Amino acid sequence: MAAPLPTFVAQHRADWDALEALLARQREGTLTLQELRTLDSLYRRAASDLAHAQTFYPGTDAHRFLNQLCARAYGAIYQPPRERWAQVRAFFLRDFPRTLRRELRYVGASGALFILGLLLGALVVLWEPRGAELLVPSGVRQYVAQGRMWTDDILSVAPPDTVSSGIATNNLTVTILTFALGLFYGLGTMFVLVNNGVQIGAITALCAREGMAGRLLDFIAAHGPVELSIIVIAGGAGLMVGQALVDPGELPRGQALALRGREAVKLVLGCAPFLACIGVVEGYVSPGDLFPTWAKTALGLGLGGLFWAYLLRAGRAEAEATEAPAVSAS
Amino acid sequence: MSTASTPQLAVATPERVALSLPVAGIGYRCLAWLVDATLLFFFWVVAYFVFTLLVSDVLGVFQGLSGLGQTLLVVGVFATQWLYWTVGEVFFHGQTPGKKALRIRVVRLDGAPVGLFESAVRNLCRAVDFLPGLYATGCISMLMTPQHRRLGDLLAGTVLVRDERIDLDKYTAAAPGEASTSVATGRTLAPEEVELVLAFLTRAPGLQPDARHRMGTKLVEKLGGLTDEEKATVLASPEATESYLRARVRAEH
Repeated sequence: MAAPLPTFVAQHRADWDALEALLARQREGTLTLQELRTLDSLYRRAASDLAHAQTFYPGTDAHRFLNQLCARAYGAIYQPPRERWAQVRAFFLRDFPRTLRRELRYVGASGALFILGLLLGALVVLWEPRGAELLVPSGVRQYVAQGRMWTDDILSVAPPDTVSSGIATNNLTVTILTFALGLFYGLGTMFVLVNNGVQIGAITALCAREGMAGRLLDFIAAHGPVELSIIVIAGGAGLMVGQALVDPGELPRGQALALRGREAVKLVLGCAPFLACIGVVEGYVSPGDLFPTWAKTALGLGLGGLFWAYLLRAGRAEAEATEAPAVSAS
Repeated sequence: MSTASTPQLAVATPERVALSLPVAGIGYRCLAWLVDATLLFFFWVVAYFVFTLLVSDVLGVFQGLSGLGQTLLVVGVFATQWLYWTVGEVFFHGQTPGKKALRIRVVRLDGAPVGLFESAVRNLCRAVDFLPGLYATGCISMLMTPQHRRLGDLLAGTVLVRDERIDLDKYTAAAPGEASTSVATGRTLAPEEVELVLAFLTRAPGLQPDARHRMGTKLVEKLGGLTDEEKATVLASPEATESYLRARVRAEH
């Protein structure tokens, strides 16, 4: 026979208040070891009180109070390990490149989509010049028609800082959208990839027809390899999300999504610092005639090579030491 | 009192007790966002004036120095779009200032606090949830999912729960200075009846006199166990009714 509700509350109230006070102190991080032990035993007592309340006083305020109290204590006791700088380092040294190698198929598919768009855009414009009217933004078309690079003008109007930061936000937006639009069953990501490919392909072909290919190369060479790689990687992450939605396997869709989302976002977060660096290159090195084309090309190829060498090599020795060879094959 | 229609987040703890937490609905979330957005807006207004005052009050000079300013601006925009939310959620127990004001918090689906990854995901997805404007996608997603989650929450595996402020004093509070009548008679009250009486007692002082009298009478009749003349004295005034009810609940000890 259960005690009446007011009696139950009066009997256990002191324990609950003590637990609440300890939880408040735990948040401030001023607990002694002894208090920590008390917290643990008080939590277990509150949990059993909650079980009691669930059976005998369901739906009452006392029940809801205990729910909330136990949830706070549960959160405090079973919280995930704190992310600290060591973990950030481990992330870039091992976790990020390893995740990328494991999910290389998605990055490959994303790259294939991008190249497909690139070829499509280029072929259309090369084959039928009027296609450029459809595919290339009118602002860019005007510049090309006058035989000038649109990038020259950005620089002459605004100081390089502005260009760099403007480009950085633009790249950031594209990268985030490429990834996040994967939530629409991957279709959004596919669209962004193909669309970007088509545009870049069409612009390149248009420049080639007008005899400006060299100057376009001059602008793109320094930052292109890394920047396009990052967008392709973000696209791969978006495709992972889409795949979890289309084919969640044995898990419920929500769980599959959360599971794959954690992996996918590693790819996007890992790219973030590189995106910032390449924004600087794109803002300061790429425009203008400060550097000769061969230097820009060498820089671009060098950076791209370093980036991919890092992605494909970093943490590999440790991975082989810890994992069975059959598992590490992607 | 009735929260039966509120969706709950069920959490299974290792102690084999199932927690169920009330999920925050779209109203709470919109209000919390409004608070955060207002804070960010005022931050930008203040930052703008401080910057222009410190650097220059002449527009031309400001434009001349704008290179650094623009870079800072872009970093700032990025920070407000992403950093503000993520730092708030990771370091302040799942609460940005707006969420704190509305007493809601982000938790993982298993009830644990959010980590850096979950928070990063759900805030990166703000860009998509915002499409095509003012969180239209996010709102549709919140209306269509049982636990009111936007796309970012779905991807990160997070959910927003409410912190309710619950006063336990009402169970044990003594009536303000009065000796109880004989209330030892009668059956034991069910928990729902106790809650009902306590809810009435909490609200009675604010009720219209006739409603107060009517509900008090109903409750006394519902609890029963009184002879006719006892009932007449109890129902003589609202104060008498309420002190009887309070004593009746307290007599459960």
